[in-house]
Amino acid sequence: MRLERIGREPEFSRYMDLKEGWLDRRIFSDAEIYEEELYRIFARSWLFVAHESQLPKAGDFLTTHMGEDAVIVTRQPDGSIKVYLNSCPHRGNKVCFADAGNTRRFVCNYHGWAFNTAGELQGMHEEYCYDEGDIDRKKNGLRQVARVGSYKGLVFATFAQDGPSLDAWLGDFRWYLDMLLDNEEGGTELVGGCIKSVISANWKFGVENFIGDAYHAGWTHDSGCRSMNDGQPFPPIDMENSYHASVNGHGWEFGTEGVGDLFLLGRPKVMEYYEKIRPKMADRLGTMRSQIFGSVASASIFPNVSFLPGISTFRQWQPKGPMQFELKTWVIVNKAMPDDIKDEVTKGVMQTFGPGGTFEMDDGENWENCTTVNRGVVTRHERLHYRCGIGRQIDHDTLPGIVYRGQYNDANQRGFYQRWLDMMEATDLGAMPPRPEPRLTGVAETRDLPGLFAL
Amino acid sequence: MNQTTTLERPRTGATASLEVTHALTQTLYREARCLDDEDYAGWVAMLADDLHYHMPGIETRYRRDKTDQVTDLTRMAYYNDSLDEIKKRLLRLETGTAWSEDPATRYTHIITNVEVEHTDKADEFRVFSNFYAYRNRNERDEDSLIGSRIDIWRETGGAYQLVRRRIILKHNVMLSKNLNIYL
Ligand code: FES
Ligand SMILES: [Fe+2]
Repeated sequence: MRLERIGREPEFSRYMDLKEGWLDRRIFSDAEIYEEELYRIFARSWLFVAHESQLPKAGDFLTTHMGEDAVIVTRQPDGSIKVYLNSCPHRGNKVCFADAGNTRRFVCNYHGWAFNTAGELQGMHEEYCYDEGDIDRKKNGLRQVARVGSYKGLVFATFAQDGPSLDAWLGDFRWYLDMLLDNEEGGTELVGGCIKSVISANWKFGVENFIGDAYHAGWTHDSGCRSMNDGQPFPPIDMENSYHASVNGHGWEFGTEGVGDLFLLGRPKVMEYYEKIRPKMADRLGTMRSQIFGSVASASIFPNVSFLPGISTFRQWQPKGPMQFELKTWVIVNKAMPDDIKDEVTKGVMQTFGPGGTFEMDDGENWENCTTVNRGVVTRHERLHYRCGIGRQIDHDTLPGIVYRGQYNDANQRGFYQRWLDMMEATDLGAMPPRPEPRLTGVAETRDLPGLFAL
Repeated sequence: MNQTTTLERPRTGATASLEVTHALTQTLYREARCLDDEDYAGWVAMLADDLHYHMPGIETRYRRDKTDQVTDLTRMAYYNDSLDEIKKRLLRLETGTAWSEDPATRYTHIITNVEVEHTDKADEFRVFSNFYAYRNRNERDEDSLIGSRIDIWRETGGAYQLVRRRIILKHNVMLSKNLNIYL
């Protein structure tokens, strides 16, 4: 798509110096910067729109947002997935008001224009009012996104005609994603339902928290951890054997002890389950990834999806203005899990990371106050400190991405804002530098790539 | 727990006596006062050992869509808790490090539309009610949660204990940042 704003003089680099490790507070509340984010980031990124398991049958649909644009995601009779604007080409009314369901068509409430699940205009109420030549049905369907792709169950869409393929967009991050999406035969599914809440904070605070902020966990969530685990405090962090890994703005921070996040979930049966499948996981993903999975860890996919591998919350931070986002949360489980384990995971997630969860309750207020206080006219000109661990970058034989040693680090956050800057300034997405040069080469099947498994 | 009276529309459903209705209405008010005062020990004392406390997450769906969003316990829920699980959540407040609870949130639960019915069991009553729960904290942080409840209360030794509760919040997007409240 052509976006008239792109190509204007970019000057976003003045909002940060990532080599020095600081950010300008204005990016968290300024209305103009937010408007540019909608154009430059949300209208051009690959955005998560659905998990394939939410749309098992032809005619299944769900509604969501790409940035602030309302879209419908539908399963087609041929098994493919289409994504188009939830907005009628006649006067723009919403054509679907449900969160999810199954249908043969969408009929607009205003004048009765009817669309099939491919988004094509099929007919309308009192069609005789249009004369020959007034309307070309082919040109008046629901506006399709430019591209749809999926990676191991996660469906992404983008409004950008050109720019990187989904595989290139995810890049080496697929090596990490496989720990969530492919740790057991059959892959994953989302548990039924979606819980949405509203947090009056800038969307980036949610993303950056999950992308790398292990540091806040032991302090912010001391009460959550103790409540779920008979008063026991957070497991200690091993700064030698824990890492930040950043790829194209995505990030995963993790330990290698294998049990930390499973412990925080507070469900011993889930812990036992993963211990049982861990040898198989090692066959599947290699020893190192089988030891990373379940550790104290958190991750985000650029720009606005996050999850906790092991705790199994999966979430999206939907922007609603510079100072508000809607948080959509799901529970992600392995398809192969027996029902009682799925139930345990679901209950565990809702007791920790649902809106009433013992961890979740202490996060929102931090992000809201970071957002509102940063907005003060004097305050907004003070820099924020993002230097933690800035000297700890390493080369690692096994771990792809830009890797830093020590889980307490701002490295992934810096990687995220670097990509934010790349996209805010890029006229041509194809010219954005890979961060870093990929090791995996354009292959969707990343599970068994040789040369990556030696611990 | 399966032996317990279900929340579904009653087979008997006869309205309880004025006396029982009064006693249970007072019980609901006392429960609300415990919650408003953060007297969680007092609240837990009103909960039965076989408690099931459920608040399903409900998506907006078309009328023709028959997905069971209320009684299907495998779906996502704000609460889907046993007594032990409620107690685990409450432990957070005792740690002294629940930062977002200090300063304290100010709560008011308004309970209305109380109806009490007999069930198939002489000692268990089905109680319908509506709630308006208001929260205010710090300077001007506020929200309102409105919805309905169906409960089963069991008479034990002159007092009543909550055995089952299903809470239907009337939000789609919950218009608040968290749910540090019981309804
Ligand atoms: S706006 Fe949709 S039919 Fe007129
Ligand atoms: Fe957190």
